[in-house]
Amino acid sequence: MSTIAEHTVGHVHRDDIGSRLGMWLFLFTELVLFGGMFLVYAVYRFTYQHEFHVAAKELNTSVGALNTIILLTSSLTIVLSIIAIRKNNKFLSVFFQISTMVLAFGFLVNKYFEWNIKIHHGIFPGSETLLGKGNGEIIFFGLYYVMTGLHALHVIIGVLLIEVMAGYTIKGRINSTNYVRLEAAGLYWHLVDIIWIFLFPLFYLIT
Amino acid sequence: MIFGSNHIELVNGAFWFIVSISFILLSFITFLMIYFVFKYNRKKGKKAVNIHGNTKLEIIWTVIPVILVMAMFWYGWIGYRDLKNPPKDAMIIKVTAQMWKWTFEYDNGVKTDSLYVPVNKAIEVNLHSLDVNHSFFIPAFRFKRDVMPNRNNSIWFLPATVGKYDIACAEYCGLNHSAMYSKVIVLPKQEYDAWMKNELAKKNASSTQLPIVIDSTKVK
Amino acid sequence: MHNNGHAVSYLDYKGKHSGIFAWILSTDHKRIGLLYLMASLLFFAVGVTFGFLMRLELIAPGRTIMDAQTYNSLFTLHGIIMIFLFVIPGLPAVFGNFFLPILIGAKDVAFPRLNLLSWWLYILGALLAVISVFLPGGPADTGWTFYIPYSIRTTTNVMPALIAAFILGFSSILTGLNFIVTIHRMRAPGMSFFRMPLFVWSLYATAWVQILATPIIGITLLLVTIERLFGVGLFDPALGGDPVLYQHLFWIYSHPAVYIMILPAMGVISEIIPVFSHRTIFGYKFIAFSSLAIALFGSMVWAHHMFTVGMSETAQIIFSLLTFLVAIPSAIKVFNWVATLYKGSISTDAPLLYALGFIFLFSIGGFTGLIQGALSVNMHIHDTSFIVAHFHYVMFGGTGFGIFAAMHYWFPKMFGKMYNMKTAKVGFWVLFVGFNTLYFPMFVMGWLGMPRRYYDYLPEFHIYHLISTIGSWILITGLIIMFTNFIKALRSKTTYTAINPWGGETLEWTIPNKPPLENFEVIPTITAGPYEFKDNDEFLMKENN
Ligand code: HEA
Ligand code: HEA
Ligand code: CUA
Ligand SMILES: [Cu+2]
Repeated sequence: MSTIAEHTVGHVHRDDIGSRLGMWLFLFTELVLFGGMFLVYAVYRFTYQHEFHVAAKELNTSVGALNTIILLTSSLTIVLSIIAIRKNNKFLSVFFQISTMVLAFGFLVNKYFEWNIKIHHGIFPGSETLLGKGNGEIIFFGLYYVMTGLHALHVIIGVLLIEVMAGYTIKGRINSTNYVRLEAAGLYWHLVDIIWIFLFPLFYLIT
Repeated sequence: MIFGSNHIELVNGAFWFIVSISFILLSFITFLMIYFVFKYNRKKGKKAVNIHGNTKLEIIWTVIPVILVMAMFWYGWIGYRDLKNPPKDAMIIKVTAQMWKWTFEYDNGVKTDSLYVPVNKAIEVNLHSLDVNHSFFIPAFRFKRDVMPNRNNSIWFLPATVGKYDIACAEYCGLNHSAMYSKVIVLPKQEYDAWMKNELAKKNASSTQLPIVIDSTKVK
Repeated sequence: MHNNGHAVSYLDYKGKHSGIFAWILSTDHKRIGLLYLMASLLFFAVGVTFGFLMRLELIAPGRTIMDAQTYNSLFTLHGIIMIFLFVIPGLPAVFGNFFLPILIGAKDVAFPRLNLLSWWLYILGALLAVISVFLPGGPADTGWTFYIPYSIRTTTNVMPALIAAFILGFSSILTGLNFIVTIHRMRAPGMSFFRMPLFVWSLYATAWVQILATPIIGITLLLVTIERLFGVGLFDPALGGDPVLYQHLFWIYSHPAVYIMILPAMGVISEIIPVFSHRTIFGYKFIAFSSLAIALFGSMVWAHHMFTVGMSETAQIIFSLLTFLVAIPSAIKVFNWVATLYKGSISTDAPLLYALGFIFLFSIGGFTGLIQGALSVNMHIHDTSFIVAHFHYVMFGGTGFGIFAAMHYWFPKMFGKMYNMKTAKVGFWVLFVGFNTLYFPMFVMGWLGMPRRYYDYLPEFHIYHLISTIGSWILITGLIIMFTNFIKALRSKTTYTAINPWGGETLEWTIPNKPPLENFEVIPTITAGPYEFKDNDEFLMKENN
């Protein structure tokens, strides 16, 4: 408490614990946001058990598995970059941040091709092929596009965030004594990862 | 003491039960507020006393309201239970809602714009919508039920008095939501039978027209 | 406490920016509070006008001044504006921003820049809502609840309205997040949780509801948008989706949202009553914990808005039961407030009148909530004007009067000016009479079977609608009296220097009117609870001289 009293607002007031608390709360809201989607998923899975089963077979499990590995690795690299900056190794930290971004990019490219193939086969919301299928399958693919799309959006936001962090690290605004922002970005990235860990079995594995 | 339908007694009972309790409590609270404001007014120059609280009082005014609301819940619930479970011999009528009119179809295929029912006979209405949500509301009978495109809701009632009552649409459904009125016409048994005979004859006369088959889930 | 006469007030200091930028780029919590106040008052004026026009239309059956389509858009916009732009941000964003840091002895909120971002999001969302009115297709006509399938079938501009509500939700989340961290991390030395003023407690509970419930409405409205754009089928019954699922998701947020609206108002009342009784609050801990209880139980009763859709019997029973239980914490608060008046030294200045008005009107609103929670009765009065009366009593008689109370209470502190007390009291009585004349007939009509969202009505309801419309004129008169009183005070040249006009013991009354930029010259150390009135005799003497 006393540290706060000493500072004035004119200075930039710094409270790492407060920042972390704020970030955790934010991640919490993100989880609730996806929680809403998972709720919708659960309800429809229950209503259309058989059709979900059929539809899930059309997804390519190996592409999904590859993407899971990519994201897990990227979670590791972002942790490594935080460890590096703590040890005051700026170069290594930036290197790992860039690696994270490259992996994320790989994830997106993979996703792009996956969607592209689906769309090529005429499976997208409102398409004739899809409307010809049963209600449950329409909803399965609706959910598939909405949820993986929303997740991909988070991946993109995460990449942008890490890019800014890399800039800060190079300029020295993130350093071995002040790295709470990089930590926050890392937390965000773990969230993106965790959500995928849920999406992957729900869409690709449980058939 | 039944007027329009069987539900009235329990609904009115629960309503006035809660209203009375509320009225007594509200009067009590209001009286205390006004009384204190005058009695302990600052103009009288008396010193205020700092009272921090009283656990016994807190318990009293937690437990008593809990008991009261449980009673309210119970009263509301028994009336609802009654509404939910139709007797086995109920006469079934299919109700179709669409923007912005009601259609009633009887088991013999007769269709009408107003609902005709015989007095003192349990009626079960099966509710369907062709487009958006509506709600089948008979204020005089004290109930309503939502009418939705993907669910088959139903509700039952026992019209107890001969007469004409309004049917309103209670779920907002667009431009003419407020004009989506119809009537329920409760007739004595013989009049009802005569009416139905007449309708059936009319229908058979024009039976070249095929009845429209409606699949509510596929309608846009 | 200190004579800070030389510190520049938050209204006068010069920062990096000048002119309007000194305001809309300011990260000072007090300036942001005022920004919110001005913006929300503007939207409030629009919302009130729409309400007034609706009442004019309903003065007689049939067409009076507008067609049905216009009426339908009006109540939609009226609802959206009042809920998302006015009562939800009203107390937390205006008075929470302004006073939360001061009340806990801090210089600002934890994340000042995030705070400014919240305001910008709020403005962005509001602009989008305004734009939707002027785009071809016309304003949304779905009601503020956006029920599916109508909301994905109508051709009006539902999408901008949905996105607007989505953005406003995020603004609200960020404010809540900011407040939680502020309360946890920024309290002055000695300010333990149980020495916090009850307004802070209520903001704390509110902030948790904001964080937990708002994301759900965010994703739900987004899904409706996606449904309209791409037809993914998640809610559309024609594609196998379930409109009832939409209703669940909507109310999972929107029921807790009503507690976002009422909790801060209850906090304000808990500040005002002890100060104007000049004695400590009765049952501090019970009031504090009942806020948390409301936040907790309030998140489990959402389906009482859906009793008529045909849920399972078990669900009906559980939701009805919980609805009744959620009333208990409110009851505890009301009883403790009344007990606080006992053996006090009561001054009937305008803030107290508004606080007592709140208790009376909120109780009527709450009791009628109980009536609606009874299953069999709900079958009859659901979606009638009974409901409309209920929520105006709680939202306007409750939250609205809470906001008025707060305005009268903190006005001298915020602006260093004082309004005319006589006029303020007259304004209160006119508002109070107008309010009941406007809304009470709606209870009667609702019970007699007048459905809501009705452009036209049967002749038998005419008399009630007529009384109600006349009530709206009285109400607006009261509103005009109140606001001209404030404006006159703001424009007067005499500054008001008494820093503690009501004899409060919380921290805002220890700093100058128009608080300086950093609130406190020296961060205070707290040694006692917020309502320990020790100076009884001296204060009384000053009053009576
Ligand atoms: C500020 C907003 C606010 C608040 C605080 C409340 C509070 C409550 N509301 Fe309300 N409500 C709304 C805003 C609010 N509501 C809105 C906007 C709608 C309609 C939405 C729409 O459809 O557009 C609505 C609709 C609504 C419905 C659905 C009606 C329908 O559509 O069919 C129900 C049903 O149960 C309900 C119940 C309650 C209850 C039980 C409380 C309780 O929390 C009240 C508790 C308070 C008291 C009970 C009074 C004080 C206590 C005492 C004086 C002590 C004595 C007490 C006892 C004996 C218990 N409300
Ligand atoms: C807080 C919310 C709020 C407020 C204040 C009001 C104010 C008014 N409302 Fe309300 N109303 C709603 C929320 C609100 N309304 C909602 C959610 C609906 C449902 C919409 C729907 O069905 O989708 C509705 C629906 C509704 C209907 C029903 C429409 C229908 O079903 O057909 C009617 C009809 O008369 C009506 C009338 C009015 C009138 C005349 C006013 C006002 O004009 C009265 C005048 C207002 C005042 C005198 C002042 C209030 C002041 C404050 C609250 C605080 C000031 C704060 C600061 C200065 C910071 N409203
Ligand atoms: Cu049909 Cu309203
Ligand atoms: Cu509710």
